[in-house]
Amino acid sequence: MLSVNGLKAKVDDKEILRGLDLQVGAGEVHAIMGPNGSGKSTLAHVLSGRDGYEVTAGSVSFDGKDLLDLEPEERACLGLFLAFQYPVELPGVNNTYFLKAALNAKRKYNGEEELDAVSFLRLMKEKLKVLHLDDSLLKRPVNYGFSGGEKKRNEIFQMALLEPKLAILDETDSGLDIDALRIVADGVNALRSPERSMLVVTHYQRLLDYIEPDYVHVLAKGRIIRSGGKELALELEEKGYGWIVDEAAA
Amino acid sequence: MTAAALNTQAPTGKAATPALTPAQTSAHTQAQALDGWLPERATDGQDPAWVETLRSAAAERARALGLPTRKNEGWRYTGLQALLQQGFAPVSEALEALQPEDIEDLLLPDLDAYRVVMVNGYFAPALSALDGLPNGVVLGGLHTTLTETPDLLADSLGEVAGDGAHLFSALNTATLSDGMVLLAERGVLLDKPVELLHLSVGTESPGVAQPRHLVRLGEGARGTLIERYASLGDATYCNNALIELDLGHDSVLEHRRLQLESPNAFHVSGVYLRQGTSSRYDAINIGLGGRWARTDIITRFAGEHAECDLQGLYLAGDGQLIDYHLDVRHALPHCSSRENFKGIVHGKGKAVFDGLVYVARDAQQTDAAMSNRNLLLSQNAEIDTKPQLEIYADDVKCSHGTTVGQIEPEMLFYLRSRGIAEGLARRMLCLGFAGEIIGALGIEPLAEHVSEVVGQRLEHAPL
Repeated sequence: MLSVNGLKAKVDDKEILRGLDLQVGAGEVHAIMGPNGSGKSTLAHVLSGRDGYEVTAGSVSFDGKDLLDLEPEERACLGLFLAFQYPVELPGVNNTYFLKAALNAKRKYNGEEELDAVSFLRLMKEKLKVLHLDDSLLKRPVNYGFSGGEKKRNEIFQMALLEPKLAILDETDSGLDIDALRIVADGVNALRSPERSMLVVTHYQRLLDYIEPDYVHVLAKGRIIRSGGKELALELEEKGYGWIVDEAAA
Repeated sequence: MTAAALNTQAPTGKAATPALTPAQTSAHTQAQALDGWLPERATDGQDPAWVETLRSAAAERARALGLPTRKNEGWRYTGLQALLQQGFAPVSEALEALQPEDIEDLLLPDLDAYRVVMVNGYFAPALSALDGLPNGVVLGGLHTTLTETPDLLADSLGEVAGDGAHLFSALNTATLSDGMVLLAERGVLLDKPVELLHLSVGTESPGVAQPRHLVRLGEGARGTLIERYASLGDATYCNNALIELDLGHDSVLEHRRLQLESPNAFHVSGVYLRQGTSSRYDAINIGLGGRWARTDIITRFAGEHAECDLQGLYLAGDGQLIDYHLDVRHALPHCSSRENFKGIVHGKGKAVFDGLVYVARDAQQTDAAMSNRNLLLSQNAEIDTKPQLEIYADDVKCSHGTTVGQIEPEMLFYLRSRGIAEGLARRMLCLGFAGEIIGALGIEPLAEHVSEVVGQRLEHAPL
């Protein structure tokens, strides 16, 4: 599904990713953990095609395509989805209109017929039910004036609607209290499927209590320094990042 | 990025009255270009003496004023060269050949309104819809009213505008002959909006139309006026329109203005407002322009506790200039005013926003807020924005803010990351920016029309 090989990337001439390798198979959930500044968010951004990052070496293939060669919207249409750490407020842009534009852009790209207003509303209602979301969110401008929890739920709702092949959850737990976290995690878990891979980027282990990963990777100084099963997350929770970073440096 | 005169300074102490100083001598030769706009004789002997006096005094004033130059603060960013080059001559006759079916495409679908149509500045009864007016309402042509019942107009016509803000207002008054009259007696509630539709049709030689309108609401009267400027075809012409709004005690006027004309149209309009005690004026100006458009909105409070709400949206692209000048004077206490104008400028478009709020020493407890926000979509787009607060009272609540910016890259990326192509994403963000004003229009057929046109403009806009 996703194959990252020797990826190096710079921001403002500072090298953040320094030769990162990562293989994610279909239906797998991978957690990327690591201390602040290790490059977790940079990885998420580079994969989704945000401006301001310069890839200096390596390759990324997504579903057999050269991901780095594609515009952000093409990546999205091919089935990549980034759940933002800080979802952006879009004053004046109606949420329903936005969701319909996104879904239809993707359908069009993939040669499917665009949904009309009625079928779209029906689909939205269905997805809302699964996520136990209030439909008042849909009438408001995108994320505008939303609480932290509402913003994150809106991200997961978009994910439910767009049905990506690979979802990258960038620090989805940040800013959420435990109840909101549980709701968001339930939403994510409801979207797990053998066709959908996930990359869960997080600093803390607590999110992984709710979204159980198949694999855990530790990212430090722009490289994956240790990979393991979900028990690795527990070890990190107990001992912190220090020992593993030191070990890798040794 | 040319933000030629981005001015976010605190209120300046300097007098910024837009009243004209006598023109420079050098301007006089140029001024001859507009001599043709003045009638050779100021009187035709048929109207009441006070109307003749009004005209001749204005003609004299126009000659004394001469053309404003760029040295004049109110015209610093708005050159007259292009307008003068056209050699506009007055349109002297009403075009009567137009049939209702000729204008069908220009009407707003599903708008239920009384309609007054002006063709090249003259009232066109055959195209208008005046049936079923409530009692206590006079709605029709100015010329007819002046001929038949001039006394109805005596306290308002020319009184609200006074000497006017500049040469063009003086020219309009000097040639005052036709336009719309809307008078509502005390307590009248207009059950439907009144639409004032200006249609411009190309004439053999480029013409200038100078319609003159008067709206007077008696005590407690309420109404909605939709004022539109539209063209048949892409004719070259000029409108120099002036509307006087006289709001009585406790009256409420909602005023929606849409200027959407031929790409070769020149447009000057003056909105003069006088507000009585506890009256409310709620205006939204949508400027989608023609080639060159200048609008002055001048408001005066004649009583306390009046509210004046001016909102606007302008969109200027290649080859377009759109200029809004606001002049809000608080001379009496306890009044409030709000100006909220937003602009989108793309291609080589140019926009000017000049907003003055003046609070005299006696105008205590004034509540005034002014905001002008702009999106510049291209390197060559230009916005000259100049908000000014002049405050001489010490117990007031006043604020102003101006922004000139581009589309936020964060917002653009968010949309693109959801699969939305960059062009559409930009349009969505621009429409979102404009949506605040379009959404406030409150008249669905008008809002839909504006939204559609803005969307189309942005779709074809070279960025």
